[in-house]
Amino acid sequence: MPQLEVRNLTKRYGKTVAVDDLSFAVEAGRVTGFLGPNGAGKTTTMRALLGLLRPTRGEALVEGSSPLAMTDPLRTIGAALEATAFHPGRSGRNHLRTLAAAARIPRSRVEAVLEMVELSGAADRRVKGYSLGMRQRLALAAALLGEPRILILDEPANGLDPQGMRWLRDLLRAQAAEGRTVLISSHLLSEVAQTADELVMIRGGKLVAQTTLAEFTAGGGSQIRVRASRLDALEAALVDAGAAIGRDGAEALLVSGLAGEQIGELALARGIAIHELATQQRSLEERFFELMGDEETGGS
Amino acid sequence: MNFLHSEWLKLWTTRTTWVMLGIGLLGEALFAGLYTGLAALGEVEHELVEAEIATGIGLLMVLMLVLGVLVVTTEFRHGTSSSTFLASPKRYPALLAKVAASLLVGLLSGLAFVAINAGLSLSLVAGRGGELPAAGELVSIYAGVVASFAILAAFGLGVGAIVRNQVGAIIAAIAFFFVLSPLPELLPGSLGEYFPAQALGSLHGHVEASGALNQVTGGLVLTAWAAALVAIGIALICKRDVAD
Repeated sequence: MPQLEVRNLTKRYGKTVAVDDLSFAVEAGRVTGFLGPNGAGKTTTMRALLGLLRPTRGEALVEGSSPLAMTDPLRTIGAALEATAFHPGRSGRNHLRTLAAAARIPRSRVEAVLEMVELSGAADRRVKGYSLGMRQRLALAAALLGEPRILILDEPANGLDPQGMRWLRDLLRAQAAEGRTVLISSHLLSEVAQTADELVMIRGGKLVAQTTLAEFTAGGGSQIRVRASRLDALEAALVDAGAAIGRDGAEALLVSGLAGEQIGELALARGIAIHELATQQRSLEERFFELMGDEETGGS
Repeated sequence: MNFLHSEWLKLWTTRTTWVMLGIGLLGEALFAGLYTGLAALGEVEHELVEAEIATGIGLLMVLMLVLGVLVVTTEFRHGTSSSTFLASPKRYPALLAKVAASLLVGLLSGLAFVAINAGLSLSLVAGRGGELPAAGELVSIYAGVVASFAILAAFGLGVGAIVRNQVGAIIAAIAFFFVLSPLPELLPGSLGEYFPAQALGSLHGHVEASGALNQVTGGLVLTAWAAALVAIGIALICKRDVAD
């Protein structure tokens, strides 16, 4: 049984369709990266899994049943949704205490998670004075409070410095290694590429791909960069031969669909001198951009 | 009980509750001291204590309403509603705990008001040789005050749960009692007596008006208003999406 599952999930706000007939499952013991451009429906899907919003159609399931049916919610799912969802006038420690009280979690666990996220020193300061990185860590502490079997984190890397990112990566890997389920969203592949085992990619509320990171990396495909004496003539010949051509600046072609030998033979037959013939692996980020279209921009 | 513990902590871990109750109770202490200490002792001295309560209670009544509104709207304003409802996915257990916490704050504030009033007004009037209200009368006035503070807090919570927007809910709750209160009096018969402001007046023992409800009925009518608003508010929050 998957730990988290959405089945034909659709969520409409008036005429806007935030999530459109989305289905995927998330298994225990690994980190799943939930990727998509801003506005792709990641947060909406996560909120449906947490029982915070009602699907227009379809369902969101936690350990096989509705999130509303959880008997011990904070020990089942820990979630960090946004780094701004605190009362600015309450201290970090007191924020955690209110949550701990609701789930009968002992005070000692509050201190333990504060220690884990390295906020013990700032715990009595009001959240108002926290940096974005500190708020992210407080949100994470809240998620970890009940030692939950499932973690759902929305853009947890936002506002973290490089050390913070590495710390987060190690923490999430350790959680998955203990057999827990980890779902983290991001609009940047690079943020999850070193953490995730599994990728779920959505765009416009629809599933684009669900794959392991290994498959995604292996399926990268290659292209060949070619410089030659009569580039335009070579391009025409390659197109006739069925290649897909891109330009890399004015003096080079990026050829895919033909092997290096075929390109060389074609050039020789037309009396074109090859100046450079180099096989290039396309980067993960390039493939990701291709899948996600051109909406890939920063911010949130 | 765990949710009540959580809500109780929420109330006392920001400055809002402390500041509001501090201002309310300090204001009452100042007013009680000045009014009963300085006002002329006339032929109807025992009414001095009652008159002090009738006026001194005003600020705290507004604060109880606002406090009740804040108990729920603050969560939506700052987005903490998400974590609250993650711990209580069916939502109503956490909301019922909020109602209990509001009632409790109202009761405690009412008792604090009574303590200040008894300590200052009664002793000042007695010390100046004035006449005090009969013990029975005093008990019923004080009981009305304590009950009204608790019910007003719950009433505010109900309005807050329905409106959710903080400013909107505060305006709506106050309008119910203080802006719209003359309108029901235009209604035929005694229908107007069943409106919140009129029922509140009865609960406080202002039954001079002809056809007014007695104290207990006034309290029950006001409780029914608060319960209805709370029920509608909880139903709406359970049904709506928690968007932020």
